[in-house]
Amino acid sequence: MRLTLLIMLLIFSLTACAESGEDAAAQVVEDYLTAKIQGNRDELSRLLCSELESTLDREALSFASVSGARIENLACEQNGDVVTCAGQIVATYGTNDQTFPLTSYRVVQEDGEWKWCGEAG
Amino acid sequence: MRRLCFFLFLIILVQPSLADNNLTFVSTWQRIGLFEGPGITYWQTGWLNAGVEVTLLERNVAGTWVHVQRVDTSGDVLLDGWVMSAFFNLPDDFDFGSLPVSSLPDADIDNVNSQSMSQLFSVPVIPEISLAMQEVYQRGVEAGNHPNVITKVGDSLMQNDEYLQVMSQPNYDLGGYVFLTQTVEFYRESAGQPSVAARLGLTTYVVFDPMWADPAQCEAGESPLNCEYRLKRPSVALIMFGANDVQHMTDAIFDEQMRLLVEETLAQNIIPVLFTFSYHPDNEFWWQAINFNLRLVQIASDYEVPLVNLWSAARALPEFGLDVDRIHLKNSGVDWLDFTNGREARYGVTLQNLLTIRVLHEIRRSIPHEIDSPDNATDF
Repeated sequence: MRLTLLIMLLIFSLTACAESGEDAAAQVVEDYLTAKIQGNRDELSRLLCSELESTLDREALSFASVSGARIENLACEQNGDVVTCAGQIVATYGTNDQTFPLTSYRVVQEDGEWKWCGEAG
Repeated sequence: MRRLCFFLFLIILVQPSLADNNLTFVSTWQRIGLFEGPGITYWQTGWLNAGVEVTLLERNVAGTWVHVQRVDTSGDVLLDGWVMSAFFNLPDDFDFGSLPVSSLPDADIDNVNSQSMSQLFSVPVIPEISLAMQEVYQRGVEAGNHPNVITKVGDSLMQNDEYLQVMSQPNYDLGGYVFLTQTVEFYRESAGQPSVAARLGLTTYVVFDPMWADPAQCEAGESPLNCEYRLKRPSVALIMFGANDVQHMTDAIFDEQMRLLVEETLAQNIIPVLFTFSYHPDNEFWWQAINFNLRLVQIASDYEVPLVNLWSAARALPEFGLDVDRIHLKNSGVDWLDFTNGREARYGVTLQNLLTIRVLHEIRRSIPHEIDSPDNATDF
């Protein structure tokens, strides 16, 4: 009885940890997208994988020419090293709204932390 | 009697030479400034009043300025100078292409006070096509690029439906620019296609950012630039950035990004045609815009790619060809190609279209005929 309880506790802990890891990767992508529309260079630098370090300036200025950038209906889910996001970014240029549908993104682990690593092919 | 015969003989001798010169007598429909040369940096020497008949003698390369003269019956010159060609009442079949091209430069830089503006004015409005670009074109066609396909890359000034896409309408009117007809016909179907690399708010940074690519047409991780080149396989890319970029980056970074853009375009054996951009002197970033344009000039020179000096040509237009926001080029409101009623001298977008077709004409003239043939053309 005690053994069964112990096993169940172990399974629960492992599942929780796994879910927590998945949540973490999805959260990284959500944080990355938020930092990108805000042009938050420091945050982008923290969340960007080393492979794409050279694109940091581009990423930080991506939405500089538009105003009021926001993410609508954001919901991300991890599947392995891919995080798929629903929703879209909406930004305004002059009086025109521009939409940027969200898609699937690659994530990698570096030093135990998930990093955003571009669009998934 | 012998004297009369000699006189008649002289008339017969002189007659063909006048015909060869193809002198045309025309008048303008509004009073316009008369300058010493083909541009507003030359001294203005007077005015040409509406209805006054003058002879057209020669033109600038673009065809946007013409040298006119008026002589009295005794042969004395009453009026001599350069005017914008947009305001003439032309005979139906008249072609600016029939006029000889003047050797005068597009600007008299001695009359420009600022050194950087003088540098910018010294660049011709329409470039010569380098041998290097002829080779790029040839390699591109051999690799599968379509000789009659062009595309546009840039921000809202390029995305504008009135820019280039109006070329696809069948009811175009080139006015006196008849010599551009074959070029319009050659590219017009391709010009009608929108570009995924010309978008509102696009900058030299985000043209490489997959997030700005159209997911319906582009592959995952593909930039708008590479997506557009893959979709169209053009032989020429018309590229204009600056009006947005100038507000968000230094000229050094702009230079870096534009070089990447040119290199990527050349790597795909596509001729990148760069444009300087018009900017209003009262705008906050005026001097930065001059620096950006000078960077474009240097890049064009370094890579031997053609550069259209729209900035210089637009100086002669009201508000420099710009709309009330002083950023975007002014639309004419006509959704077909129309170079009549002086539109190219009043609306920035009409001038942009004219200079684009003019540089495409130059590219076609410079390439071997067998490449630029209907057999290699693409149907849409």
